[in-house]
Amino acid sequence: MKSNVRQIGHVSVVDLSGKITIGEGDVALRNAVQEILDAGNQHILLNLEKVSYMDSAGIGELVACYKRAKEKEGSVKLLNPSGKVYDLLSLTKLEEVFDTFKDEKEALVSF
Amino acid sequence: MAAETSVKLVIPSRVRLVDLVHSAAEKIAEIAGFSDDEMLNIGLAVREAVINAIKHGNGEDASKEVEILLEVTGRGLRVRIQDGGAGFDPEGTPDPTAEDNLLQTSGRGLLLIRAFVDDVRFNYKQGRGMEVTLEKALKTG
Repeated sequence: MKSNVRQIGHVSVVDLSGKITIGEGDVALRNAVQEILDAGNQHILLNLEKVSYMDSAGIGELVACYKRAKEKEGSVKLLNPSGKVYDLLSLTKLEEVFDTFKDEKEALVSF
Repeated sequence: MAAETSVKLVIPSRVRLVDLVHSAAEKIAEIAGFSDDEMLNIGLAVREAVINAIKHGNGEDASKEVEILLEVTGRGLRVRIQDGGAGFDPEGTPDPTAEDNLLQTSGRGLLLIRAFVDDVRFNYKQGRGMEVTLEKALKTG
């Protein structure tokens, strides 16, 4: 998995691509989000448009990121989950936990 | 029913080998005639079962092996995953979709397995470990 961070105002947009899976993508996601939090930013928008799929470890890491941001009084929101990723969020009922957006501008003003 | 094509993989309990098994499962699913979306679903189900075998069955002890038998049958696909662990009660695992469990960072593997194949059976054999059998039928008509 690859990630690139864009800072737009007080929101860190993380463009992710590839798969978020055990031992690789989950670690990369954890590190990317931790770097943002360590830099003092706590509002994070994960752009999942180019993420092909996640496994249970990747889904667990998504939840862990959400909790870590929340501990710092921040938030993690999701942008454009792809078909399979959306299916997984729905199946695990995490669509009830994460605010999810299709439009980046709309997402940015929600923070 | 006798298997028309079968492939057996034996791996040490290393998480980094999960991708290899996932790819093999997708390829066998393709040979069996499943669609691209169903191939990914089967790959994900096998992936989760192998992760369970490596982590929970064999405790990530690389000296312990996981056996994966992928079989194309006349009806679709059957996958058997065998670990050397002490077994567990699949009905005893908490529901990860219950409101109180939504923020748990683990425990979703069985949910994914059950969602992506038609049938999941658990068979603990004393002295051999847990065998998980996944079956997925081709859609007809």
